[in-house]
Amino acid sequence: MKKLISALLCVSGFSFASMIGVDALGQEQIAGGSAAMAGRGFAGNAKTGDIEGVSVVNPARQAFDTKVVLNLNFLLDVTTVSRSSSSFTTSTISMPSMNLSFPMGDFGTIGVSLWQHYASSIREDIHNEEEKWNAEIEYQSSIYELVPTYAIRLPFLRMVSLGASAHFVMGSFTRSLTLGPDNSEISKDDAWATSNAMVSDYVKGDWEIKNHSAYYTFAAQYRGRMASYFFSITTPYTLSNELLYDFRFSALDTLAPTRYTREIKVPAMLATGVNYRFNKRHNVMVDVAWRAWDRDVENVAGSWGMAEITKTQNDFNISLGYQRDGSDVFYDAYWDRIAYRAGFWFKNWYVEDVSEIGGSIGAGLPLGRKGMMLDLAIQGGARLADGDRNWSEGFFGIRLGLVGVGNWGKTRGQ
Amino acid sequence: MKKLLLLPFVALFVSSCSFDMDDEGLSHWLSDQGMPSSYKVQTVTVSNLKPISAEVLQDSRPLNAITRGMFGAANGMSIDAVFDFSIDSAFTARMKKTDSVKSSLILRMVESLYKSKFLPLDFFPIEEELKLNVSWILSEKLSQKEWNKLEDINDSVWLHELESWKTKKKADTTISVSVGRNDSLVFDLPSALVSDIRKNAGYRRLQLRLSAPEASNIYRFYGPGVYFPRFHIEDLGGNGDYVTYNAYRSASLPKNREKCSDCLILHSGVFDSLVVEFPSKPIMKALSDFYGDEFPYTKGDSNDVRQAVVMAEITFFRDDSKGSSEFDFPIMLETGSYVDSVGVAVFRSENYKIDRPRINESGHPNMVFHNGDSLALQVTAGMRDLINRGGDERSFKMVMRLGSSVVLDKDSSATYRVVTEKDTIEYDNGGKIVVDQGDTLDVFFSEHDYARYDFTSIKNKPATLKLWLASKRGEE
Repeated sequence: MKKLISALLCVSGFSFASMIGVDALGQEQIAGGSAAMAGRGFAGNAKTGDIEGVSVVNPARQAFDTKVVLNLNFLLDVTTVSRSSSSFTTSTISMPSMNLSFPMGDFGTIGVSLWQHYASSIREDIHNEEEKWNAEIEYQSSIYELVPTYAIRLPFLRMVSLGASAHFVMGSFTRSLTLGPDNSEISKDDAWATSNAMVSDYVKGDWEIKNHSAYYTFAAQYRGRMASYFFSITTPYTLSNELLYDFRFSALDTLAPTRYTREIKVPAMLATGVNYRFNKRHNVMVDVAWRAWDRDVENVAGSWGMAEITKTQNDFNISLGYQRDGSDVFYDAYWDRIAYRAGFWFKNWYVEDVSEIGGSIGAGLPLGRKGMMLDLAIQGGARLADGDRNWSEGFFGIRLGLVGVGNWGKTRGQ
Repeated sequence: MKKLLLLPFVALFVSSCSFDMDDEGLSHWLSDQGMPSSYKVQTVTVSNLKPISAEVLQDSRPLNAITRGMFGAANGMSIDAVFDFSIDSAFTARMKKTDSVKSSLILRMVESLYKSKFLPLDFFPIEEELKLNVSWILSEKLSQKEWNKLEDINDSVWLHELESWKTKKKADTTISVSVGRNDSLVFDLPSALVSDIRKNAGYRRLQLRLSAPEASNIYRFYGPGVYFPRFHIEDLGGNGDYVTYNAYRSASLPKNREKCSDCLILHSGVFDSLVVEFPSKPIMKALSDFYGDEFPYTKGDSNDVRQAVVMAEITFFRDDSKGSSEFDFPIMLETGSYVDSVGVAVFRSENYKIDRPRINESGHPNMVFHNGDSLALQVTAGMRDLINRGGDERSFKMVMRLGSSVVLDKDSSATYRVVTEKDTIEYDNGGKIVVDQGDTLDVFFSEHDYARYDFTSIKNKPATLKLWLASKRGEE
């Protein structure tokens, strides 16, 4: 199963655009990377509805759903990385998550999410004689989670639901620094020996959780007439990245690699949020998630004098969002059936001295009569970094979410 | 829905068109990440390296002479030739009345050698009185069915049987050999052979072996795959009747005739190998001195990936005076080393990397029978393995063999060169050839030289190892 999913994810080209923390965990895709959430600044984990679907932060929410929701999310991201007069731009396309939720009436709602939680991706060739660059740099890291969720409304207190999810962590890491020779230290007569000798510092490994098969999120949700709240706690866990360090001349001509397992202690996450509904279809919402990192993240490094650790800081995310729900009456004007969204967020990264500020607008466009929807979000912002290593980044992204809604397993009467 | 699915691809297309990486910005960013821009090449020389052991492994397997075979003796080795015939003695039975029956073996000489333009000026004429020992095995009488099946015997089965050849009959004879260009070689066979065949009529298998350990040349002939070696019987007395049988298969059986058991003598043309074993300690010490790190590396699984060997070259002292060759061309050495493969030491051939400036100036460094007194062999794979897994205190074992003769000794082309202008090219052995634009010249001679070379000095004269290393160590 793991292999199958790996293959699927490879085909869909998961990757993020930020260059911060590539040697550590990479960029975190918050709130499951859903296009609907992104449209309102990643706020609204407390917002309930018929078709809100899976929330990886608040698994209790889906208990209030009434329809089966299948949701696929895509992201096109353009990031400009800059420091003083130097800059460069990367662009990536990725698929941060796929979700399926399945309400079963009084038996609760089950769901599953495939979420790329962290990723780093670079693939560049740099050959520049003046600055003596002769290298091909590649990073492909992807930590993804298969998250089965279950939520149920309390039979005696119907406005409250409880939910839990298990996060099964998988993924792979590859780093390849393919380098040409620098013959400046050897005699000219000896240079022949290194012609065409590209050497790769190659590191490869898998991601998993140490000693456990999964980490867990537990949540409680209250749905009021106007205001809804949630609170969730996610257990801490230790990511284990078993790495093979190699020095190779080609894929078939390698040294015997040496093994090293780096361990990354990810702290518990507390999250809460509120959604306030007014005038029937207008919502404002605020979400906060917080993690206290007390240990640094060990880097892949392993050579060349690269930094051994990435220093961490307390990481938190504050989101503020607005959504005007679309009318669910088919005969209403099309513009009225669209859901409109807007939001802002501020995020302190797990990487020390890196923070992110962003804003977004979005829309949920109904497609035809068959319960299809297209979520569209446009986001932009900046990642601000201090220190010698990380550069500040400006980013702009377009997210697409394809939503299929169905009444599977339900009769007319329900 | 279809349009929707297309959207991501359109987006990808747009993104790939719109943005180009700025190399300068990226390289500055990579520098700030502490990423390497190239690997620094460093060289370490380990001199005074003495082998722990050196041993010659002789090759004595019968060689299948399906396309070409060898026969004769030269440079401390002899090669016997064996031919496999199926004969029916009806013909000889008919000749019972006459005594003047002659039999001979007719071999067609290999043209690519004997008509070659690259032979030394004094190579011809080849003339000698050859003391020939002829032995044969004539089978029991066979049924026609069995006789017909002789053709189906597998070559490899036959070659295996030849390793324990048991002569039934033999006879000695002396013949005069004279090989000119474009010749066949005819050996008149002793009368005892014909008598034996005449006495034993019927369908039979005849295996015929020729040996001439005292010969001074090795003759190359075509095997049955190209031109059948023929066994010819002729009635001299009667009306000149004759019959000719074609050999189904032929083989060459090399034999080492060196007398010195302590000497390290290699023969080319056969797969003789010289295995030399060096201790790892002096190599590890030199690396420790150079890097200031611990060698061998014994942490964790002991696999050392802190650096990799890009090139390793070991240089031996060389004295050509104790060797001898047929064609007077330099002979290139092939090298290999023993490397670890899942816990088992396996032989791995070394890829020879060309040092162009050096070759153009003084010729390939890995040749014998050539100017100079050193022999530099590349042992990159072996050294890479040794340093990578030196933690288990393994030694370094290398193998060398005499390989091909080199016609263009100062040419750095891999296998052939295309001539770009009219020229006269002089070979190392004194030959000359006029070439014109467009001509293609082989760097190597097409024939094996059955040469001998004495490497005994390897035991006493220390070698020098030079390593080119790529290190992952960062700037201190």
